[in-house]
Amino acid sequence: MRKGFIFNHNKCVNCNACNAACILENGWTIHLRNIYVYNADAEIALPVINLSLACNHCESAVCMTGCPASAFSREKSTRAVIIDEKKCLGCRYCQWNCPYDAPKFDAKKNTIAKCNLCFSELIAGREPACSNACPTGALKFGELSDKTPDVIYSWFPDKGLNPAIEFTGPLNSTPLKVIPANAGSGGKFDQNQIQNKKRKNISAEVSLIIFSFLATISVSVLVSSLIKGVFPDKWTFISLLVCTGLFSFFHLGKKFRSWRSLTNLRSSPLSREIAALIIYSVVSAFTVFLNLPVLLIVSSASGLIFLLLIDGVYIFTDKNRYVILHTGQTFISALLIISFISGIVLPFVFMALLKLGLSFYNQISKQLNNSDFTLRFLRVVFLVVPGLYLILHSSYSDIFIIIIFLSGELIDRILFYKDFNPLNINTLINNNLR
Amino acid sequence: MEEFVTACPRNCYSTCTFRVQVENDKIIRILPYSGNLATPEGPCIKGLSYIERTNSPERIIHPLIRSSSGKFSEISMAEVLDIISSKLLYIKENWGSRSIFWYTGSGMSGLTNEIGQSFWNAFGGTTLTYGNLCWPAGLEAVRLTMGSVKHNVPWDLKNAKTIIIWGKNPAETNIQEISFIADAKEKGCRIIVIDPIRTATADKSDMLFCPRPGTDGALALSLAQIIIDKGLINHEFVEKNVKGFDEFRLSLHISPAEAENITGIPSASILELAEIIGTNGPVTILPGYGLQRHQNGGQTVRSILALSVLTGNLGKPGSGFNFANLQSYIYDDLKEPLSYFPDPEKDMPFRRTVSMAKLGSDMLNSSDPELKAIWIDRGNPVLQAPDTNNVKKAFSLLNFKVVVDQFMTDTASLADIILPAKDIFEQSDVIGSYWSPYIQFKPKIIRSPGEVMPESEIYFNLAKRLNLNVSKEIIPEPGNDNIELWLERRIRTYSDIRLKTLKESPVLAPGLQLIAWEDLKFDTPSGKIELFSSEANEKWGISSLPEYVPITNSWHEDKYPLILISPNTGSRIHSQFGNLKIIKETNPEPCVRISPDDASARGLREGQKIRVFNQKGELLSRVSISYRILPGLAVFPNGIWVNEGGGVNQLIAGVETDIGFGTAFHDNRVEIEEVD
Repeated sequence: MRKGFIFNHNKCVNCNACNAACILENGWTIHLRNIYVYNADAEIALPVINLSLACNHCESAVCMTGCPASAFSREKSTRAVIIDEKKCLGCRYCQWNCPYDAPKFDAKKNTIAKCNLCFSELIAGREPACSNACPTGALKFGELSDKTPDVIYSWFPDKGLNPAIEFTGPLNSTPLKVIPANAGSGGKFDQNQIQNKKRKNISAEVSLIIFSFLATISVSVLVSSLIKGVFPDKWTFISLLVCTGLFSFFHLGKKFRSWRSLTNLRSSPLSREIAALIIYSVVSAFTVFLNLPVLLIVSSASGLIFLLLIDGVYIFTDKNRYVILHTGQTFISALLIISFISGIVLPFVFMALLKLGLSFYNQISKQLNNSDFTLRFLRVVFLVVPGLYLILHSSYSDIFIIIIFLSGELIDRILFYKDFNPLNINTLINNNLR
Repeated sequence: MEEFVTACPRNCYSTCTFRVQVENDKIIRILPYSGNLATPEGPCIKGLSYIERTNSPERIIHPLIRSSSGKFSEISMAEVLDIISSKLLYIKENWGSRSIFWYTGSGMSGLTNEIGQSFWNAFGGTTLTYGNLCWPAGLEAVRLTMGSVKHNVPWDLKNAKTIIIWGKNPAETNIQEISFIADAKEKGCRIIVIDPIRTATADKSDMLFCPRPGTDGALALSLAQIIIDKGLINHEFVEKNVKGFDEFRLSLHISPAEAENITGIPSASILELAEIIGTNGPVTILPGYGLQRHQNGGQTVRSILALSVLTGNLGKPGSGFNFANLQSYIYDDLKEPLSYFPDPEKDMPFRRTVSMAKLGSDMLNSSDPELKAIWIDRGNPVLQAPDTNNVKKAFSLLNFKVVVDQFMTDTASLADIILPAKDIFEQSDVIGSYWSPYIQFKPKIIRSPGEVMPESEIYFNLAKRLNLNVSKEIIPEPGNDNIELWLERRIRTYSDIRLKTLKESPVLAPGLQLIAWEDLKFDTPSGKIELFSSEANEKWGISSLPEYVPITNSWHEDKYPLILISPNTGSRIHSQFGNLKIIKETNPEPCVRISPDDASARGLREGQKIRVFNQKGELLSRVSISYRILPGLAVFPNGIWVNEGGGVNQLIAGVETDIGFGTAFHDNRVEIEEVD
């Protein structure tokens, strides 16, 4: 029988004994087990539900398949998913892929740490420290039943992951009746008073935005050279390539281990993306130095594949399919840029209409974050204005117009990162129970 | 690696049994012990933190003495005991032994604590405290009504159909009880919480009633009247077992409408609650200690207890009034609360004249002789007693202050000499519990670090230096074998239980009633449950009947509109544990919690720096705005050290409860304002 965590939310009072036991047993400096709280502000009409989670040691562990550095492995006898922090690059891709917030970034070491199921304790016939320590019996460790996932946690993100956790205890879905009804507040309550609105912080992803945008430009330049039959300027192109590589490199927590990023070509989209980056860089560098038309064809093809693999990195993570047809995807963006700078009007009009249509469709169907109205508005203007200019003049000679056009594409890439929202327990617990 | 079984001796309901793994004389792991049916899943986060606490680099492990510059420096144990003994002699010769004030707190329970009493007795007596900071109003209320203080075993909760958690927050103060409550709930039991704060316990309930603080008695008496009027009382039970029912019935006068005015609970909800109590039995009431830390605390508890009495929810499974269960206190000649009351005859040669509740002012007012010295064991009164500024003033007037403690607490930092105190694994002892029915042995597991000496040995060495004439049967010689011999002698006069038996596993108290009062025998003057208690009137001057007495001190409601509540929290036992790293890591910074309404009225935002103040003093902190807090309240936990942003007792007046010499912590008012 498979073993795992068994959690009864009716008995969990957010006492943090599990969290403390984990730290005391393993000597961590960060919290690998946490209690996620639904309705943490205790709004009157809603129940408060606590959920103690660390790693669920999934059978289909996306942290492991996605890791470019093969830093994760499975301990055979306990089925624990463990990380070797000496192999970790600190790229944080596993944090996107895991919906349970299990991999934690240790800012002091610049690597990921995660729950190891106290596997050596298990092998010795004992229990994980956390479940052992739970004073109410809310968190237990034992044999999982085969029954289908409980309806209470239908929102729990286990699609295809097969996590080693199950839930017991009925959900008290009727809200707590508070008497008098205005006990918590006389009604003039402003949510902003209690918490600063949680905004997605994209500053951590700036290097990724720049990397992927530069990659798009570089591939577009190469392909439109092919269309026009002129080789791009050698040194401009090489500096573009070098910058692209550097921004990819600077994103890593452990830069000197970057060679490890090629060790999981078999299952990690990130590993493949990096391999494609290297192949593309080498071939295109030869192309501009040797000026061989055959190489121009090969490097253009490898560039387009490289962009598809960049998009693949996000599609792998995006279990909600929010960004699968996003107009900020590098491949779509590249097709538009190519047609624009090549000055071929009809394909451009087709791609531009496709982009506008898609962004409109995404906006309506997926209820993307509407707070970025200015950005979304500028994005449309920066496409329509240069587009009309191109159609009217059939040329792109005005540098000012190109800058406006490319700014539009950069905004689209920024919006892509804002809209890209990997499944995560922190947001799920509040969105889905409400 | 070796493994031992021990028990936690803190002032806590749970008194958990747990397993301890030791390697190289260091505690490396704390694990649950399933043999204690009340705490089968093991201890709380505080229990787990002993791993850090015992080995903490901040622990005091050598005696410290204050130099002329005011700083502490290390001194050897032999030297410091020489200094102490000559100081004690000097004070005794000049002002008499009663000018020495021996203050003991509840920091660690155990029979060996009596050795201190024996020492000071042989020394010639001291001044002592009477009363208690915690629970005596409620204890006395239950004793007056029922004759003794006990309740069903904790795991009997599963038989209840209605559980009313009245002013108690077991999620933080008795965490294992949550497990029994959740099990009962899964079986269909209704869980009702009555509390002005939506606590973590309230999150587990079906209904939360939020009365204004201090008005619980009015709510209870109104419920009683409805229950009687609707004919929902258990006539047979009342007729057979209750004294004073008719007088009680005639005294009731709080209509639901009036109760609504007093408590803030709509009358329709009061009727609904009465209906549940009267019809959905068996009902267990879990009253907490916070609701009796008011000037009307004793009468409040009598009034709530009357509900269990009227509906016959006593003496049977699933029912009860679980204030405290003293059935395991078999080694006490005088059980609480009686042991808190001064008795000039028996107290000789001591003088019990300082009220715990009025510590500062009573110390200042002591005369003939005035207090000259203080010796503190197991306590942190500078932080935990009310009216901090007066306590500090009284301390500053003393010539000689000795504090025995493990850490540099707010009290220790004012001492002249600090003696390092033992931790729970460093001396054998025997403890009971006021919730679970077990008597437990707490073995010596590791050697004390540095020069740490158990109090029994400190007293032995002092007695030798002072040439006191005490036998080693009273104050044992150093060494854990001698303590175990002392314990064996101590317990054998009370029951057949031997230390050997206790060493095997926790033992259910002899004569234990799993279901309290199942024999329907009550140890009151009348032999019945006394709703009407002449003793209540004769001893305390309150009405013989339960009565709602509004709190009417000088509250300055206009100047200080917020009622201040200072509850206990899950991560501390009073002022213990909060200084540990693992506790700080897993707990938010201390802050004053108020309702959104009160925050709006003052233009306060989350996390803003504020000043909380009243006529007693002020506290600088941050504000946290929460739906959990009833408008009109300010909530700040007790037990947080001043250097960590705590010290709520600076805002609390030293006032006694109506009965039992308890402390009315929760009758104070404050105002809050923004600071830059």
